[in-house]
Formats: sequence, structure tokens, C-alpha cells
Amino acid sequence: MNNFIDKLSEKLLPVAAKLGENRYLKVLRDAFMLAFPITMFGSFVVVFNNLPFFSDDTKGSLGSLFGNGQNATMSILTIFVTFGIGYYLSKSYDVEGAFGGAVSLAAYLILTPFTMVTEGGEAVSGVLSLDRLGAKGMFIGMIAAFIAAEIYTRIVKKGIVIKMPDGVPPAVANSFAALLPALITLFIFLMVNAAVSGFFDTNLHDVVYSVIQKPLTALGSGLPATLIAVFFVQFLWFFGLHGQIIVNSVMDPIWNTLALENLDAYKAGEALPHIVTKPFMETYTVGMGGSGSTLIVVLLLAFFMKSKQNKEIGRLALAPAIFNVNEPLLFGMPLVLNASIFIPWILAPLVTTSFNYAMMAANIFPTPTGVIIPWTIPVVMNGIMATSSVMGGVLQIIDMALIGLIWFPFLKLVDKVNLNTVSMTD
Amino acid sequence: MAEKTIMLVCSAGMSTSLLVTKMQAASKARGMDTDIFAVSAAEADKYLASKEVDVLLLGPQVRFMKGQFEKKLADKNIPLDIINMQDYGKMNGENVLNRAIELMN
Repeated sequence: MNNFIDKLSEKLLPVAAKLGENRYLKVLRDAFMLAFPITMFGSFVVVFNNLPFFSDDTKGSLGSLFGNGQNATMSILTIFVTFGIGYYLSKSYDVEGAFGGAVSLAAYLILTPFTMVTEGGEAVSGVLSLDRLGAKGMFIGMIAAFIAAEIYTRIVKKGIVIKMPDGVPPAVANSFAALLPALITLFIFLMVNAAVSGFFDTNLHDVVYSVIQKPLTALGSGLPATLIAVFFVQFLWFFGLHGQIIVNSVMDPIWNTLALENLDAYKAGEALPHIVTKPFMETYTVGMGGSGSTLIVVLLLAFFMKSKQNKEIGRLALAPAIFNVNEPLLFGMPLVLNASIFIPWILAPLVTTSFNYAMMAANIFPTPTGVIIPWTIPVVMNGIMATSSVMGGVLQIIDMALIGLIWFPFLKLVDKVNLNTVSMTD
Repeated sequence: MAEKTIMLVCSAGMSTSLLVTKMQAASKARGMDTDIFAVSAAEADKYLASKEVDVLLLGPQVRFMKGQFEKKLADKNIPLDIINMQDYGKMNGENVLNRAIELMN
């Protein structure tokens, strides 16, 4: 068994390294990180505008007073992400980042219709609609930003720039250096946009939304894809590899888009369209004591096990586990490469994810509204914040009880082995 | 200015920061003057550019980034290693500090 695990571990490492080092995934991660404080601010505004004990009237007036906290942040997230992609991709090619960011943002906006149809059917021009700058425009934004930054940096690298003589201030020289590549990049986007709207009477926003974004997000919000993602996170962590950093770099664009769509519906007072979103993944897996939702496991080790070894690791791991950091447990007990706990480690989060999905689908428990909660917020509190309902925290308590039941027999077995080895060495 | 600077890297810099406090305690107990700090993988470049780092240790959960960091450190002559899993889990500041000192010499 151990031999097999070692072999598998050797095979996994290069795959993880490939994904971890992939330029585009890294840029995407950094771009979302850039937007993170901004979305966090918007999320807190939404949480406080909608505290569970407020009446609908109070929520309404708070919404009109403080709604811009969300409108200017979460609702136009794609703007920050496109800038971030341009910035970080340029930087990864050792090209000045700020200009790349601005070019990517402009390229995306060139493809965006500056018209919208009101609910009354009246066409208004000279406006940008919020949804195109947020959830609905996320995928076209990411695609446009990547392509624009690629074109821009390639032209810069080719040396097609206007060179300034010595003595010109560096800031001035930089803006001139960016000029020609920026002009060429934006010109290409303008031509593409003209061609699409001229020949096909549509826009790339709607095309990408219906051909790429909708099918992908539909797949990502389904239970099967979610269980596969949870499985891989657990599986990678079993080998001591950071599961989320690898899996999330692929899934985050989808999960974040789903969260934005939920939040738009929540703001409009409509039913939430998706169960699985970024906050669902954070709050109902990592948010219960770290990867594998192990807060309850730490508690069982600290207070219900007999061997000194288990008690010690449980107590050492308790304080970090409250804030969803569980490396002490993972590497200390260890859970990593520990065949005797492989089953509960993989099984428990799959069971709770399926259970939560069913409970939310049946409307027995509330669905996360889409607000982004920092992953270090302790359990129950994060559940309440994510759903704007006390029941969101109650569901986590049920989850933890379930996880405890799955783990208990396996922990007992480990405990027994520990006790035996100690008495033998004594 | 501390004598030696030890930089720890993990995904978010959270769990390694826990280890940092243990290593600082161990270093203090020995009367050593060391600057030990933890950063996230995303921030690592920034710190490498702005600080004189004497040794860089990676958390075992991001050991797949070793190749990436080897490239970054290629022209810097900064030793690099992955923190031992057991020491990491037990938050054994003593052992990790010993390893860091070993690498610097």
C-alpha cells in the first residue's frame, strides 16, 4: 500500500507543478486577488444591509442609502478582473504592468455594447449596463483581457515602440513606449467589434455568454462537477499538496461568476439561481475547520481520545482550526499519506456537500447569497454571514455532527493502535 | 538589521506564520538575532526583490512550487528547501530553525 502511495505521489507532483506554474492560471489567480479587497468591501455592505433580524422595510431603505457599496464593487467586478489580467500578464512577460492593465480594460470595453433596453422596451444608448460589467460579462472580459495583453506585450517585445532620446523623463518615455502597441491592440479589437456587429448584428458579449459562459457555469453549479472538485481537493491534500490552490485556479472563475449571479438576484429580491457558488465552496467545506472540514475532528482528538499523541495534536491544532487553518492536523497527526484515515478524509466532505446541496435544493436550508466571506472567519459565523440567515449556521452544526460520525470509528482505531504501540515500547 | 533573514512561503502565509512565531521563540532562546517572516506564494517575488533573504523555506503543501522557486533564485545564491512534514505539523520551531541554519552555512 505504502509503495503504491509513494508511486502515485511521484506521479502527482509534476502535474501539480504544471498547474501551479501555468502562466495564465497564475495571472487569473492574481487578478482575482486584486479584486478581493474590493469584493470583500461590497460583501460586507450586503451582509450588513441584510442582517437576518432587519425588516424588509429597513433592508429596502438601507439598500437605497448604501447600495453603491455593492454597485461600485461586486456588481462591476469584471472591470477589476480585466485590469488585473492585463496588469499581471504584462508583468509576467517583464513588461510594464499598468499600461497592459489599461489596454486590457479598454479592449474589453470596446467589445461591450454601450446601449441597453429598458424594461419598458425602450432602447437607450450611451450607457453601460451593470450586468455586462459584472456577472454576465465575466467570461468575455477574461478572454478579451488575456488576448489584448498577449497582443500588447508581443508588440512591445518585438520592439515596435517609439523610442525617446536620452534626457526625456522616464514617465514620459514610458507612456510613449506604450503608445504604438496600445494603438495597434485596441485597433484590432475595434475592427473585430465592428465586424461582429456589422456582419452578424450581434455582439461578442452575448455570443460568449450563451456559447461559453452559460454552459460552463451550468456545469460548474451542478452537483457532479462539485463533487469531483471536492474529491480532487481532498485527494491532493492526502498527498500533502495544497488542493485548493490547484483545483480552485481552474474552478474559481466559474464559482465567482455564479456568486455574482446569485448576488444580482439577491439584490433584486429574486430567487437565488444557483446553489453551488464560491461562498458555498468556502463556507461549507473549508469554512468548517479547514480543508476536509476538520474542526470536529480536532475536537474529537482533543477531548474524546485516550492516547497522549492524539490529545496533544488535537490541542495544538485547535486554535488554528477555529480560523480554518488545519495544516497542524494535516501534517502533525498526520492525515497526509495516512492510509488509515483515507476513507473518512475523502468521504466526509463528499457526504456533507451532497447533503447540503439536497437541503438547499429542497429549500429546507437557505442558499448562500453570493457575498464573499473571508475563509478565515470561524464556522457558524461564516454560515450565517454567507446566507444572511441563522439557519445557515445551523446547517453547519448538522454537517459537523455528520462528519464527526463518519470519522469517529476511524479515529478510535488510530487511538487504539497508538495506545498499543506506547504500551509495547514501555 | 538582523544578522540572518529567513523567509517562509506557503499558499496564503497563514499556517507558516504560526511556525514563524515558534521559530522566533527558538531563535530568541538561543540569543540569536534573526529576522523570520512568512509570506504567501503570490507575495514572494516582492519580498525577494526588496529584502536580503539568506534562506527560503517552502511549506510542504506547496512543495510543487519548488521548481518555480529554483528558477527565481537561480542567480541569487539563496538556499532553498522544503520544510519537513512532521516538523511542520508539530510546529517544531527548533528543528526548522536548525535546518535553516544548516542551509545557510
